[in-house]
Amino acid sequence: MTEKVSDLVLDGNAAAGLLEEIFAPEITSAQVECEACGHIAAVASLRLYAPAMGAVLRCAHCDGILIRTVHTAHGRWLEMKGTRCLRF
Amino acid sequence: MTATETAAQPVRRLKWQLAQVREIVVETYRVKSLRLHVTNWQGHLPGQHVDLRLTAEDGYQTQRSYSIASPPEGDLLNLTVERVDDGEVSPYLVDVLRAGDQFELRGPVGRYFVWTVATPGPLWLIAAGSGIAPLMAMLRHRARRKVRAPALLLYSSRSLDDVIYREELDMMVRGDPDLRVVNTLTRKQPERWMGHRGRINRALLAEAGFPPKQNPKIYVCGPTPFVEDVSMFLVELGHDPLTIKTERFGPSGGQVP
Repeated sequence: MTEKVSDLVLDGNAAAGLLEEIFAPEITSAQVECEACGHIAAVASLRLYAPAMGAVLRCAHCDGILIRTVHTAHGRWLEMKGTRCLRF
Repeated sequence: MTATETAAQPVRRLKWQLAQVREIVVETYRVKSLRLHVTNWQGHLPGQHVDLRLTAEDGYQTQRSYSIASPPEGDLLNLTVERVDDGEVSPYLVDVLRAGDQFELRGPVGRYFVWTVATPGPLWLIAAGSGIAPLMAMLRHRARRKVRAPALLLYSSRSLDDVIYREELDMMVRGDPDLRVVNTLTRKQPERWMGHRGRINRALLAEAGFPPKQNPKIYVCGPTPFVEDVSMFLVELGHDPLTIKTERFGPSGGQVP
């Protein structure tokens, strides 16, 4: 029996299975909701701007930036500030 | 041990692998198909694509995304490449590459722009130029499986000489009463051309296409302005946006970050 709230707090290791369910599926079929305008569309239907160093995916409806990714010497970065949610 | 421990599941990680050119087919004066052998190819679905990576002698690498034009039933992987004159990759693929040469690819990738014979409803394909490639994988798959559901290809090319897979499409239509192919030529038409002229517009979509009430599954592939115009017209004609799948590409095939 758990006595304290702090006993309920785990770390990210415990989320591995859960997150693998989310991040393993094919992403371009997922529905993405734009934070700026609320438009919902498949990730595959976003506009892609792809310079050599990375990629910017924009909402086809309002042109808001949904996903940015860049490859650097220090790893691959993914920024999704403009994405309200993803549905798989 | 963690609270949400689950059994290890095989997660597919994309790996670069070597493809060897077995044969090069001249499709038009600016388009060739590369027929590739890929050891341990895992199979694909019609409409999926691969990332292709070329490495120069000085180590410089560049990547592009190309649609697979062959059906899953084929023994070789077919990529259809259009030469873009100031392109970085396509002139090499079209003009330099020879049978026996190798390069790296990974895939198949993408599950969105996919159609199989298990997909219900009439199949409506709309292409401009080399946007035909992934749609051809669908038509070849359909032909191999001898599907009887109605299908329509609406295909926009600059001129008759630019129509990719022309003879194969003619043959497919002759052998299949449920398949229609409607060509439109935008820039140059032969004398006595009886087909459509000009770009695909709302009138042509309404006249040649399936009505919304038949709930067709629609796949649109071509340059960005083409795809955006056609999808807008389709929605204006009453087609459910969720039944319209699109794939845009730039002038040199999709560049992969």
